[in-house]
Amino acid sequence: MEDNNIIEVRGLCKSFGSLQVLNDISTDFKEKQVVSIIGPSGGGKSTFLRCLNLLETPSSGEIIFHDVDLCSKKIDINVHRQKIGMVFQHFNLFNNMNVMKNLTIAPIKINGKSKEEAEEKAMTFLKRMGLEDKVNSYPSQLSGGQKQRIAIVRSLMMEPEVMLFDEPTSALDPEMIGEVLDVIKQLALDGMTMIIVTHEMRFAREVSNRILFLDGGRIDEDRTAAEFFDDPHSPRLISFLKKVL
Amino acid sequence: MGFFEQIVAILQQYTPFFLDGIKNTLIIAALSVVLGAVFGTLMAIMRMCKIKPLRWLATAYIEFVRGTPLMVQLMFIFYGLPMVGITFPDVPWIPNFSRFMAGIVAMSINSCAYVAEVIRSGIQAVDDGQMEAARSIGFKYGQSMKLVILPQAIRNILPALGNEFVTVIKESSIVSVIGISDLMYSTNGVIAITYRSLPCLAIAAILYFILTFTGSRLIAVLEKRMKHGRQ
Ligand SMILES: Nc1ncnc2c1ncn2[C@@H]1O[C@H](COP(=O)(O)OP(=O)(O)OP(=O)(O)O)[C@@H](O)[C@H]1O
Ligand SMILES: [Mg+2]
Repeated sequence: MEDNNIIEVRGLCKSFGSLQVLNDISTDFKEKQVVSIIGPSGGGKSTFLRCLNLLETPSSGEIIFHDVDLCSKKIDINVHRQKIGMVFQHFNLFNNMNVMKNLTIAPIKINGKSKEEAEEKAMTFLKRMGLEDKVNSYPSQLSGGQKQRIAIVRSLMMEPEVMLFDEPTSALDPEMIGEVLDVIKQLALDGMTMIIVTHEMRFAREVSNRILFLDGGRIDEDRTAAEFFDDPHSPRLISFLKKVL
Repeated sequence: MGFFEQIVAILQQYTPFFLDGIKNTLIIAALSVVLGAVFGTLMAIMRMCKIKPLRWLATAYIEFVRGTPLMVQLMFIFYGLPMVGITFPDVPWIPNFSRFMAGIVAMSINSCAYVAEVIRSGIQAVDDGQMEAARSIGFKYGQSMKLVILPQAIRNILPALGNEFVTVIKESSIVSVIGISDLMYSTNGVIAITYRSLPCLAIAAILYFILTFTGSRLIAVLEKRMKHGRQ
């Protein structure tokens, strides 16, 4: 076992009823690495990502986060989830709270931070993104791109050790995709460990250390970003790339 | 004497009867909805909980109550409770207290089932993503419910609960058959004295309409307020 593995997946299987969606997946995610997951619709990408923070309960296998098996019944999953940020396709900002409340509620209620401290930190993030004028807005008053950037900040407020992104730009109008991808690229430069499910091929190539091809519940290809696109081995990846590029 | 003159004449003489009926109708409706809301909430929680027997029990209760006539339920309570030894004592300050209670119990049992469905669908109408986001950030299930889901569900639930109150006002007219002096009972009383059924029924209809229309207007105002509060 290498020291700088942040998440290790061992023999992960997941079925919904009789439908086997993940089929014996094993892989590691290292600190400060960006790994993208690409694959056809229904291939199990979301399910895989959601298993990593136990939003879906794996049918069998282990998810080891810092030497702790998250699937174990003995651990308090809530404690570990604080350190695993997640960004959703549909943003999922808390609709009953304004931006400031969205950002500060978890640090205040979970980590016991003071309101002042949490708000100051939130303001710093918002200013960096040029969203400080939205601090009192409600999610319904924001554009998709703004919502997603706020959602990313909401995760960052908990100082996560790894961030999971499930198609963070798929629900956005084309002109807003760039602003969200820029934030993620900046996070990569800052050394954030990230696992990103995406359909943005150029972005994946640019930002990732590694890319996984997930199809039929298996990792069919696991390569560096350049190799993944320039020298694919798996026939299914080759035909997939032909379709999307 | 024309129809409207008759109505005016009846009102001149019997307004206190009608007012007394309105008072009792409102008391019955309010108590039934409050009790229905309290027990309906418990029922909704049972229906959504993880313990299968509880869930099954709640589902059976809700389906059964919603699938049988209120009239039958009322009779069942009125004749059935004394048979199993449950009687309500007569109290001096409310005449016919035991009948009154039977009516309220039956209406509450009925309302409880509808309220439980209102609450359940109000909670389920909140996007799943809200719960997922709350859980993924590290909130426990209870915290997520309290901080994120319920504040949003309440916006769906309160107006529907208001509608339930309006429905209960109308449906409560049925308790007059067991001799509770609600608005319908008073109306029948006045008919018995005056032998003028149509004008009396017209008065009753108008009074019921005033109650329910005022109720639904109040709900509409409340609903608007809540929308503004959010933005
Ligand atoms: N909660 C669920 N219950 C039953 N089946 C599910 C559930 N979630 C996902 N599935 C099924 O599992 C399979 C994989 O779904 P998943 O969402 O992981 O795919 P995906 O790779 O993320 O696809 P997409 O690119 O469309 O988002 C699909 O066939 C889907 O229908
Ligand atoms: Mg998906």
